Amino acid sequence: MATRSVLRPLLRSRQLPSFSAQRSLSTSLRRADSPSQPSNHERTTHFGFETVPEAEKEARVAGVFSNVAASYDTMNDFMSLGIHRLWKDHFVRSINPGSPNQAWKMLDIAGGTGDIAFRLLDHATNINSSPASTITISDINPAMLAEGKKRSLETAYANSPRLDFLVANAENLHTIPSNSIDLYTVAFGIRNFTDKDKALREAYRVLKPGGVFACLEFSGVTNPILDAVYKQWSFGAIPMIGQLVAGDRASYQYLVESIEKFPKQEEFKNMIQNAGFVVPGKGWEDLTFGIAAIHKGIKPIETKA
Amino acid sequence: MQPLRRRLISSSRLYHSYDHPAPPAATFNQVETAILDASLPHIPTYGFTQTTLLRGARDAGYLDASTNIFPRGPFTLIHYHLVIQRLSLAKQSHILQRSNSNEQPLSIASKVKALTWARLMGNKDIVHRWQEALALMAQPTNVTTSVVELSSLADEIWFLSGDTSVDSSWYTKRASLSTIYASTEVFMTTDKSHGFEETRNFMDRRFSDAQNLGVALGSLNQWVGFTAHAGLNILRSKGIRL
Repeated sequence: MATRSVLRPLLRSRQLPSFSAQRSLSTSLRRADSPSQPSNHERTTHFGFETVPEAEKEARVAGVFSNVAASYDTMNDFMSLGIHRLWKDHFVRSINPGSPNQAWKMLDIAGGTGDIAFRLLDHATNINSSPASTITISDINPAMLAEGKKRSLETAYANSPRLDFLVANAENLHTIPSNSIDLYTVAFGIRNFTDKDKALREAYRVLKPGGVFACLEFSGVTNPILDAVYKQWSFGAIPMIGQLVAGDRASYQYLVESIEKFPKQEEFKNMIQNAGFVVPGKGWEDLTFGIAAIHKGIKPIETKA
Repeated sequence: MQPLRRRLISSSRLYHSYDHPAPPAATFNQVETAILDASLPHIPTYGFTQTTLLRGARDAGYLDASTNIFPRGPFTLIHYHLVIQRLSLAKQSHILQRSNSNEQPLSIASKVKALTWARLMGNKDIVHRWQEALALMAQPTNVTTSVVELSSLADEIWFLSGDTSVDSSWYTKRASLSTIYASTEVFMTTDKSHGFEETRNFMDRRFSDAQNLGVALGSLNQWVGFTAHAGLNILRSKGIRL
């Protein structure tokens, strides 16, 4: 946190004049007339380092991603120095989706731009010769989903029954029947959810017994020295890159703050277990010193007692 | 209160409970156990492979996707086999307790030998697949678990045989048994003789080698002690106060 307090005045001074009074997001200015100070009666949650009413978080996250949809991948490349592609490849490889005799029904939550979904389908088709496996890309944000639809046209899966899109809130997937999904993935999405426990319970509901919950998300760097370097990078450089490349500093400021706020490996593993999942091994796999981590959970078959 | 009383009666408090042996669940969770149990019968046909795990998952009512519970893949299958076989040694009652009072109880050394043979016979049905297992066990990421499992096996055999040594022989006994077991296990993978007769002979020779070595070390020890004493006495006889 020492780093943060050193950086804070620095960051402040760089902020655009119109934002200086309140560290709010460009998108939330439209909502500026509605008071964002939470009253005592409302349940609150985190929006980056701010505390906001639960009812408001969804709309503000929506704002962030509507802003970054088009430049999403370019920005990811800049921010992670291209490493996010390796993480995503490894994530899909470790899941090893598809099998020759069993078509998998997959659900990619917060999968807007489709980068995980296309990888999953590619792996299932090319590696595991499972051409019947299907995927539903779900995102709460129509702008992100539109980006995914656009990109799907360049793949072999465009307009095929193997791929469909769904605008839905991950906390309430009422259009998806219970016990119907083999694989539920969420990559760099769950930290933006308002109620993560509720989303996990919903994942548990839609998965078949034996189905897999797999999550790729930013996490905590375990080595304190590397962590200090990483904090410098994320709080110092990323919002600036956001401003230069995407012309949107505030959205990227939210991104790094939400990473900081997201539960670390052990805590998130416990959340997965509390939702009813059985976790493999120690429950997660660190990527690049723990900057990101893969968490998995299996929905156990209920034994008749 | 029951366990407490029992503990008070016994003069030394053991870390091992005879009444409540640690279940394999300590190492493997419910889903893993269900799938691995169902996978075991497929090992002779499909070996220590992902295919076996997939078959096991289906037989246990799980999905192909459920094999995601094994981040180390087929190695977990090997690990499970090692643990199951090790724990089953405690059930070898015909070696451990002679129910027939006419029979002499076995000596510790004979029990060690008999248990080692019993463990080797645990590999009987899968021995044609064991070389691929050994290859997986020797991979850098798996070698730690494999070595720990080997030393647990040696410890289990000495413990079950009733060895209570608390000197440096505790270590040498386990080390020499590990060596004997590991080399015999490798020998067994190439043995085509009836009833693994060759393996049996090989193991017997290794045990007698170890015994000879032990005798040699003991003799050497005796000789050094004798010579040192004699030397001291010679010095004393020359009038040096020691």
